[in-house]
Amino acid sequence: MGRVLLQGVTKKFGDVTAVDHLDLEVSDREFLVLLGPSGCGKSTALRMIAGLEELTEGTITIGDRVVNDIEPKDRDLAMVFQSYALYPHLSVRKNIEFPLRTRGVPKDERAAQVESAAESLGLADLLDRKPGQLSGGQRQRVALARAIVRDPEAFLMDEPLSNLDAKLRVQTRAELVELQQRLEATVIYVTHDQVEAMTMGDRIAIMKDGVLQQVGPPQEVYERPTNLFVARFIGTPPMNTIPGALAGIGPDTVIGVRPEHLQVGAPTDDGIDATVAVIESLGHERHVICRLADATMVIVRQATEIVPPAMGDSVRLRYDDAHAHRFDAATEQRVG
Amino acid sequence: MVTNSRAQRRRREASLGYLLLLPAVTVFAVFIFYPFLRNFQLGFYLNPPFPNLPKRWVGFDQYRDILGSDSFVDSLKTTIAFAFLTVPAGIALGMALAVAANRKLKGIGIYRTIFSSTVATSVAVAAVIFSMLFNPIVGLLPWLGVNPTPPIIENPDLALGAVALVTVWQTLGLTFILLSAGLQAIPEDLYEAAALDGAGATTRFWRVTLPMLSPTLFFAVVIGSIHAFQSFGQIDIITNGGPFKRTNVLTYSIYSELTTANHAANPGKAAVLAIALFVITLGLTLIQMRVLERRVHYAR
Ligand SMILES: Nc1ncnc2c1ncn2[C@@H]1O[C@H](COP(=O)(O)OP(=O)(O)OP(=O)(O)O)[C@@H](O)[C@H]1O
Ligand SMILES: [Mg+2]
Repeated sequence: MGRVLLQGVTKKFGDVTAVDHLDLEVSDREFLVLLGPSGCGKSTALRMIAGLEELTEGTITIGDRVVNDIEPKDRDLAMVFQSYALYPHLSVRKNIEFPLRTRGVPKDERAAQVESAAESLGLADLLDRKPGQLSGGQRQRVALARAIVRDPEAFLMDEPLSNLDAKLRVQTRAELVELQQRLEATVIYVTHDQVEAMTMGDRIAIMKDGVLQQVGPPQEVYERPTNLFVARFIGTPPMNTIPGALAGIGPDTVIGVRPEHLQVGAPTDDGIDATVAVIESLGHERHVICRLADATMVIVRQATEIVPPAMGDSVRLRYDDAHAHRFDAATEQRVG
Repeated sequence: MVTNSRAQRRRREASLGYLLLLPAVTVFAVFIFYPFLRNFQLGFYLNPPFPNLPKRWVGFDQYRDILGSDSFVDSLKTTIAFAFLTVPAGIALGMALAVAANRKLKGIGIYRTIFSSTVATSVAVAAVIFSMLFNPIVGLLPWLGVNPTPPIIENPDLALGAVALVTVWQTLGLTFILLSAGLQAIPEDLYEAAALDGAGATTRFWRVTLPMLSPTLFFAVVIGSIHAFQSFGQIDIITNGGPFKRTNVLTYSIYSELTTANHAANPGKAAVLAIALFVITLGLTLIQMRVLERRVHYAR
């Protein structure tokens, strides 16, 4: 029963409200990603689930227990820290073994479990090293091994990939998802990287300034962002926002169009007036960055086969209405 | 040309370096190097039992005679006992205070200040304070209605303990500061990880705090032992090495050879004892380094 339920969870640090009435249900075996910009309260939320931070308000339920007054050690969770938090004085073997030792698992059982956790993360040859003798990626795997060596109610991960280089991050991302499915584990995963969120999560919960903005499967969040913040936060390059006045529908609405849904047309075509400012070629695709009449910048994603415009060209930008998101200019909430 | 000027500059920098070093070197030479070497020389001469008679060169014979004597062995035993009474107790107490003060509470700074305050007292002050407390007539014990006979500092079984108590108290501030700094250097996330890994407060102390603190503890043990072997002021002020030489530690025995109360000053003998103390302290440091280094976990 790896269900985690947050109800009205609030955390205040003096005047700062780090997490504001957060309601969230993570079901058993779900991979939930907590996503948001730096300082939005992701870590604080995770640390409250872990029991490392007291709640100002609300309740947290893990499995069938309300855990508000239960110490971290008795919550039956495993956490992977951003800093890894490996015990520097212990060998890799002893690090992985630590959570088993504290829970009084007999010696030979411990050895077997450590072996298998180390095996599944490719650490078998490193068991006798100290953390100081490992690379960042290896340390990260030790931290993971220390978490998966047990079978806890849920795994909590706070930006575990942020210290890895880009290539290793992509690889480990896939490994993590595979691991989660193999272990049938409940995972709550904190990140500020929306690519990580999109690729790993069963569902994504997006936070801003301590407030939950939207929860849903990646595709849904991508296709129907509930407000401008989510719309701009999800997707690379980010969604373009075009003032309604320029799009010919009045100033109360803002139009959101993803870069892949914009087309560059000739100045004589229908569409929004724009000037080509910069052209970025990424090899497999091209970004044409245009300036609108009110100096708003928009990005158009183009296939390389299309003949590019030249810098400084006057163009018209078109989009299919089916791909246009409408937001209220004042409340920034989705309309329709 | 270029290399030439570079060489010149280097030479100029070097001479400036030596110049800046000179004051320190002079002080060291006058107060450390010269006395140190002179000590060896003094140790080779036998001093006559009466002043004004000539000294006689006896070489290493004097070392053999003195270091083999019962009085030296007794003094050495006393010194070792003194170290055993002060170092473990001092570190255990300092540790307890450091752990107690190492939390985020309002007003904890006041306690930290109090706990570290004894660094600001000198040995002499500490000794005088405790002499008053131990005093059989005006002290704390008679005030409490306890009147041990003989008085503590005259009791052969308790005197060394009493002096050790003063020493523990006086060094507590330093030990507290050392261990507090060590504790604060332990990353918070290790405790958090340990908590989630199922460790309660006690397990966290034994499995995280203590091993992470071992470099600092090692340092505190070395410093404390050296300090114990060199303690003098409190013994001189409180017990004068008595009763029945029960507090006659090496430093005090060196000093006794130079005072002229009961006999002529004997710099030769004092020099030999001083060298013995030096060798012991040096050896102690080396052994501690060897033995403890193997168990010390240096963080990253
Ligand atoms: N111990 C603390 N005391 C005071 N304020 C804190 C504390 N911890 C966090 N905060 C504040 O709470 C807010 C949320 O912090 P939190 O660490 O949860 O952000 P985050 O979303 O994890 O950011 P990041 O992506 O940078 O890790 C921030 O404004 C932060 O300054
Ligand atoms: Mg964080």
